Amino acid sequence: MTTPIPETALLRLLAWLSPAFPTGGFAYSQGIEWAVEAGSITDGASLHAWLADMLAAGSGFSDAVLLRLAHAAHDDPARLGAIAELAAACAPARERLAESENQGSAFVLALRAWALQDGPFPALPAKCAYPVAVGAACGAAGITADLACLGFLQAVTANLISAAVRLVPLGQSAGLAVLAALEEGIAATAAASRTAGEEDLGGFAFAADIAAMRHETQYTRLFRS
Amino acid sequence: MRISVRRRGAETALEDFYQQGCLKARLPRIAPGDAREIVALNSSGGIAAGDDLAIAYTAGPDSRLILANQAAERCYRALPGAEPARLRNRITLAHGAEVEWLAQETILFDGAALDRRLEIAMAADARFLGVEMLIFGRAAMGETVRDLRLADTIRLVRDGRLVLHDAVRFDPTRHGTADRAFAGAATLAANRAMATILLAGGDSGAMLDPLRMKLAEIGAYGGASAWNGIMLARILAPDGATLRRNVTAALAVLRGDRALPRVWHC
Repeated sequence: MTTPIPETALLRLLAWLSPAFPTGGFAYSQGIEWAVEAGSITDGASLHAWLADMLAAGSGFSDAVLLRLAHAAHDDPARLGAIAELAAACAPARERLAESENQGSAFVLALRAWALQDGPFPALPAKCAYPVAVGAACGAAGITADLACLGFLQAVTANLISAAVRLVPLGQSAGLAVLAALEEGIAATAAASRTAGEEDLGGFAFAADIAAMRHETQYTRLFRS
Repeated sequence: MRISVRRRGAETALEDFYQQGCLKARLPRIAPGDAREIVALNSSGGIAAGDDLAIAYTAGPDSRLILANQAAERCYRALPGAEPARLRNRITLAHGAEVEWLAQETILFDGAALDRRLEIAMAADARFLGVEMLIFGRAAMGETVRDLRLADTIRLVRDGRLVLHDAVRFDPTRHGTADRAFAGAATLAANRAMATILLAGGDSGAMLDPLRMKLAEIGAYGGASAWNGIMLARILAPDGATLRRNVTAALAVLRGDRALPRVWHC
């Protein structure tokens, strides 16, 4: 495909990571629904602490690394297939894998609207983790890995905050204050992933893993993870 | 060290055995028809920076193997900048093989630097059960882990496909001091011990509900999930003794109450 002008790259990044882009992200909470039920998240401060941990030591960092790997391999279908397999293998629980793959597949499907006017987008496997799909698409669209990474982490974090706003519940402005306070954490995670490779994947968000596992048997649930 | 076993009649027999350096293997006496037990021991008395240890186990078709280590593994303080201790364990399971990896605790001391990998490659109809326990400083001994470099990865390939890449990473340049980072509600919630239990193949999905019920019954802080032919459980505990008690209860569910290797009781 032709290299898009920077304006086009920005427009695409905004469109693809907008809450209106049909990935179905609103249905997932990454175990936050259980953390609220268990009393680990009760207000803005505890939500901020939980999300800061997820960014630095949980799915945030690992997804950022996977996104960058896919970005670099966007024109190599075999390598993309291997990265998608690795991304799926990084999921710590059944619902977390479903969350990532369902959003990834929906993202790829929605991208067709752009592929029609601009040639084919990268050959991604039918089942593809969300950060891998975003990374490959951004790579193909001329959106830099740094911007794609920042945008992705911000979109995922904002989505989790909106889940928590409904679950705790929190006021809109309290949720926005958490997002504002996480700017530094998002930037730091995106920066840390810049020099990281497959060997650096991982973290220690064990309680978040347990929350995702326990969510599977939670009695009353609004979210699918 | 390199060890392979094969099925011979009702028994699992040693086929190839090669040891060198500080790694040794003991073969405890077992009852006829029982799984072959192999106990690895590290004669150097602990893990230190610069160690480079590799063990490869191969379980032939329909063989049954239980792997354990002699005692809890101690990972001592490394000098700043020293290469982390490097441990590589590889387990290959041919069709119909059953392997249990029943490692005892790995105790991390303040300043520990460990780079460890457990790689499992299994046939589609093999069965693997594994447990790893990490102790971040022994609370009863007044130990607190502040400085830590840790890379501990379990990688499972089943029928040629990567199914699990479960990686624990702690990088002080990103995460600061361990005791502070581990206080986070989403990390260790101020616990000092963590276990991962992995079951792959065979009855892994059917074990999920019984295991969850056991974890709830004993009041363990943990969870379990099953997908893609594997079951993964994580348990957190305030200290090693509580973790071991909860892991022992969980293993009793997954192993049908067969006794744990004798070294677990020493």
